[in-house]
Amino acid sequence: MNDLKETVVMNLPRRDARDKLQGRTKYTVDVGGLEMLHAALRRADVASAKIRHIDVRAALAMPGVHAIATAADAPGLHGLGIADHPIFAGETVRYHGEPIAAVAADTLTQARAAAAAIVVEYDDLPAVLTMADALAPDAALVHPDWRNYEILFEGGARGGNVAWQATVERGDTDAAFAREDVTIVENVYQVGRQNHVPFEPRAVTAAFEDGRYHIHTSTQAPWTVKHVTARVLGVPDSAVHVTVPAVGGGFGLKFDCSLEPYAAILARKTGRTVSQVNSRKEEMMTCLCRENADIRIRSAVTKDGDIVGREATVLMDCGAYGGEQVFLTTMTAHTLGGNYKLGSVRLCTKAVYTNTPPNGAFRACNGVYNTFALERHTDEICAAIGMDPVAFRRRNVVGDGDIGATGQVFRGNVLEPMLDQLTAKYPVERRSGTLPDGRLYGRATTVGTWFIFVGPSAATVNLNADGSATLVTAGVEIGSGTMMQSLPQIVAANLGIHPDKVIVKTADTDAAGRDLGVGGGRTTVSIGAASEAACAQVRDKLLGVVAELLQTSADKLVLSGGRVEIQGRPGSGTTIEKIVQQAETSIGPLSGSGAFTAPGERSMPGCAAGHFIDAIDIPVFAVHDCEVAVDPVTGHVEILSYRLVQDVGLALNPRAIHGQIQGGVVQGIGYALTEEITINSDGAFDQTGFETYRMPLAGDVLPIEFDLYEGAPSIGPLGTKGAGEVPILNVAAAIGCAVSNATGKSVNALPMTPPRVAALIDGKAPAPEMGHIDTVWVKNLVRS
Amino acid sequence: MAVTFTLNGQQRRYSGDPRTSLMDALRCDFRLTGTKDVCGEGFCGACLVHIDGVPKVSCLLPIGAVEGADVTTIEGVGDLGTLNPVQQAFEDFDVVQCGMCFPGMVMTLSHFLQDNPRPSRDEVKSALVGNICRCTGYERIIDAVMSLHNSAEGRK
Repeated sequence: MNDLKETVVMNLPRRDARDKLQGRTKYTVDVGGLEMLHAALRRADVASAKIRHIDVRAALAMPGVHAIATAADAPGLHGLGIADHPIFAGETVRYHGEPIAAVAADTLTQARAAAAAIVVEYDDLPAVLTMADALAPDAALVHPDWRNYEILFEGGARGGNVAWQATVERGDTDAAFAREDVTIVENVYQVGRQNHVPFEPRAVTAAFEDGRYHIHTSTQAPWTVKHVTARVLGVPDSAVHVTVPAVGGGFGLKFDCSLEPYAAILARKTGRTVSQVNSRKEEMMTCLCRENADIRIRSAVTKDGDIVGREATVLMDCGAYGGEQVFLTTMTAHTLGGNYKLGSVRLCTKAVYTNTPPNGAFRACNGVYNTFALERHTDEICAAIGMDPVAFRRRNVVGDGDIGATGQVFRGNVLEPMLDQLTAKYPVERRSGTLPDGRLYGRATTVGTWFIFVGPSAATVNLNADGSATLVTAGVEIGSGTMMQSLPQIVAANLGIHPDKVIVKTADTDAAGRDLGVGGGRTTVSIGAASEAACAQVRDKLLGVVAELLQTSADKLVLSGGRVEIQGRPGSGTTIEKIVQQAETSIGPLSGSGAFTAPGERSMPGCAAGHFIDAIDIPVFAVHDCEVAVDPVTGHVEILSYRLVQDVGLALNPRAIHGQIQGGVVQGIGYALTEEITINSDGAFDQTGFETYRMPLAGDVLPIEFDLYEGAPSIGPLGTKGAGEVPILNVAAAIGCAVSNATGKSVNALPMTPPRVAALIDGKAPAPEMGHIDTVWVKNLVRS
Repeated sequence: MAVTFTLNGQQRRYSGDPRTSLMDALRCDFRLTGTKDVCGEGFCGACLVHIDGVPKVSCLLPIGAVEGADVTTIEGVGDLGTLNPVQQAFEDFDVVQCGMCFPGMVMTLSHFLQDNPRPSRDEVKSALVGNICRCTGYERIIDAVMSLHNSAEGRK
């Protein structure tokens, strides 16, 4: 295995760079030519209403229009955990922007004109636009018939506007908080939404061919698209075929099914291929954002710094439908409940329905704001008990044999040596002060825990007669480079060939087996492990043929440099090409298949309820350190330095990981400082384009200094962990703690825009109103 | 009114509505999809093309305005087999991720480096003020550009 590690690690360049740089790559948005019909959606422009009447007759008669689809064409409901989501609003509109009808026409202009001409008459209903409104005692229900929905995953408590509740209860927190020797620290935090802004919006082309739907789409999860499309159309999964070209950015947004069912229905109705692309405004206003969240957290800590009790309630706004947030309630246990040893713990996480656009998954999902809240709270604890924040963290981070919130036993000391590595390289001289130019200086060091979302993957490897290999999986290249770099590297190392000789088939559900999708840092781990298993079959067959040919035993043979040799006797063997040719006359072409799934880490029985994952198979840790300068007048925050240590298991391609770290941290800087979404009284986002949604520009960023921490335990192939998701994890936490240190004020809300920071400095930014989360933890529970 | 202009070295004619944006005409009619439609408001730079050698956002420009002009899109930069120095540096430094912003980045920087062959890091960042990237966090793009500067220094 050690030999394999030596050959697998390299800074392999990306094979897709040249076409992308020359403008030749055909993304989904680039394939909708004149030969196709074009689709447009009629979306609701109210947040909550009964639909009294829809009349499509005039629209259908307009020039170029071929077909119009409405709720009658797709009655099925889909969802994660609960099937609560129709693809068209039929009787009820639950959010501003909800699709009501879809039009296919010869041109996009015609389709949009016809969509606008559809007559929709509403009877307005009261709208709940905030979680505080949604949880008020007499709140209007977003889903009055929530009891009747099909449950797809058992275990979550539900009720009223609470779509899902996950709880953790380990140990006796009442006793911990009642101790006389503890300091009790309680804080509240509030964070807004973050829009992914993939440069390629959600887009699809669909055709109905030979009795099946062929969907060519910009997705991270082709098997999810296949399943959800089939479900809402009421056809078997086997009737849907999904292919995926290069995807122009995902960041989690494209982990769900999106436009695919509309285009599929219109393709069936018209007999033509249909192209459908979200306009930028639609993409901005219906983005499945990182959700806004409200958090209350309290801890009982001894004067020595032991956390004997912790209680927290996290409210996640799922918008009008449960979606990913139902699943993501699980993650609080491993993020807000992570990092530290806890004597006792109670956590309650609720996905709350509101009449706002649904939210979704975004790079490190709820980990980003839970880490912000946890690390800010940790610094408040340190201030309250008078302990150095790094010393407190060193003392309390989970290490080998320690248990997490749900009682899972962690293996290996990882966070502590990572903290030591960072502080040894960049010793802490001060955490606050004033710079010569009058700005306020702050520095902070934070820790974070995230995970690899493992789960099922399948791979097939064919070893070809020319000595190349073809890897067939449902993996998608979303920009992170995994399909271009780590997977060919893994296959090549296992077969003793160069990665340039590994052909990577683009995702195709007719060719590749089931896969959970590209996200959650899982591609290198899960598809990589399935690919290794497939390679093992190929290698066994190959070596069997050679052993017979050379009259030696297979365990004396080594594969490298495109040859098979008898160990210790270079030149004794032969080329892979010759062996493949030989095999064709004896056992046939050499191919193998492999599979992988989550092995299933154990939690402590009875600790967790309503969780989709009770214990995490592969934890990933990060230590971030940041220095800021804050302008005391304008509230502008400049980041002076940003340094981190990231747990990567084994760095397969260090240069590519550097790219993920630089990009992920900058996305986190946007989240922390400038990217703000506000929801107006119509239930719509105010930020409808790039003028108002402020992403980081080149002039806003700095080079991220980093060290990769290798060797932590991982079940990933060759000890790898995913490296692309986690860089964003503690960015808001590190900047938030640094701004607090600089200003001497408690940062309790994101983003830290200049007006908000200026108000903080002036003492005009009180802690967020959090009356809808009771200070008595147990009173927050929904019982059902 | 037909619009006649030079597109990637060839004389072309457009007979549709002259108010159509140059970007839509390039993508939908001429099927040159390397010019990317991202924000549609002139902020992101993904639709940049060269008009008479100067970078312009094609999403805000009616095609009627390029009558008689020389238009170069990303497809017209270099030829199939050869990358220009900026493209080559991006490939060599492994800076491409999703790729959607890179055609525009190449159009901006290729022009910028003609006038500023030895820019400072800050000057490169200023040049990129009209090009947004959501994946890379920019700095490695700047590293790649600075390598061109350094190699120019090295050749002296």
